[in-house]
Amino acid sequence: MENIYDIVIVGAGPAGMTAAIYAVRANMKVLLLDRLSPGGQMVNTNEIENYTGAGKLSGADLAIKMFEHTQELGVEFDYKTVIDISNSDSLKTITCEEDDAVYQARAVILATGTVPRRLGVPGEEEWAANGISWCAICDGAQYRDKEVVVIGGGNSAVEESIYLAGICTKLTIVTMFDLTADPKACDQLRKMPNVTIYPYQEVLEFTGTDRITGVRFKSTKEDATERYVTCDGVFEYIGFSASSEAFAKLGIVDRTGCIEADSRMRTSVPGIFGAGDITVKHLRQIVTACSDGAVAANSAAAYVESLKQ
Amino acid sequence: MITEITEKDYESLDHNVPMLIEFYSKTCGPCKMLSFVLKDIAKQNPDFPIYIIDFDENRELKERLGVKGFPTMLFFKDGKEVSRLEGLKQKPVIIKAIEAIA
Repeated sequence: MENIYDIVIVGAGPAGMTAAIYAVRANMKVLLLDRLSPGGQMVNTNEIENYTGAGKLSGADLAIKMFEHTQELGVEFDYKTVIDISNSDSLKTITCEEDDAVYQARAVILATGTVPRRLGVPGEEEWAANGISWCAICDGAQYRDKEVVVIGGGNSAVEESIYLAGICTKLTIVTMFDLTADPKACDQLRKMPNVTIYPYQEVLEFTGTDRITGVRFKSTKEDATERYVTCDGVFEYIGFSASSEAFAKLGIVDRTGCIEADSRMRTSVPGIFGAGDITVKHLRQIVTACSDGAVAANSAAAYVESLKQ
Repeated sequence: MITEITEKDYESLDHNVPMLIEFYSKTCGPCKMLSFVLKDIAKQNPDFPIYIIDFDENRELKERLGVKGFPTMLFFKDGKEVSRLEGLKQKPVIIKAIEAIA
């Protein structure tokens, strides 16, 4: 059957692309699938300066370099949304949404990553993508000389806030805890004159009539003071949710939807491996995702070879 | 075929022909990845006109067409905007929008 591969890799972020490079170099017949385009979450990062040896570059540029690397080595790639993965003894079946495409593989590497988490408060659904955004680089331009609120205090929130504060008249940060990002970035943000930070706050609602007009939130401290900040737009950076719906039934994910993999990126199902942000891990970075991808490909290739013996 | 245009070029396009116009920014990661996808689509549909236009340098046109962010894809048929996709979208979704106007 034409559609049988040694290894199918689901997700073409840094973990998936690195896995593809290692797998094809191990003489595996490899298929790399992604629903959008190569890169995953890193294409939303304006500037990366902690990927060893790469200097300072944008996430998209790094994604393109990685993808070109896979193509130089002959990795087969297709735009497909994987909706189901089933497991039989010797072959895994990968079903896609588009064109009822079905592939079979001796091993599967799951590198589906994560998607931005939402608050689930009133007004969020109403203004999503029309006043509330998850990508400052994409939507920040329309808020030049306007006022915005950023929800969150982690690395993404702080990095994107530095970018937004440079183009907006006023930036307000509302965060559940204090700023938890890289201390150097936090210092840079705190020094910006048009930035106000409200730590230890719970967002209650987003308000507006024909457009978003403000955010209501209250302190999580004893006083529970309620505040309302007017704004023209909101950017949310409150973490990520695992993209694991297609394989949740395999019993390889924890209660947060992340894959539990061992040090060789093996899951509890033989022949199924995890890599990158989708796995249970402490540090989610491009460099750790690449490392996972290399290990997963090495383990998957060894598994495929073991089936031949 | 993908052609870069300015707002001045936009006026002289044959608006009776179905077309896709994408507003992008040089600094936008998802725009770079979308251009990747559009190149692929253009390869498969060489006769369908795809125009790309710089969001930052063509402010009058983006205001007139109500384009707020990037990337934004506008699908035109018979001189009218038929549909719009905002953000990096799946290749099959873009192809479906093209097939609806072509």
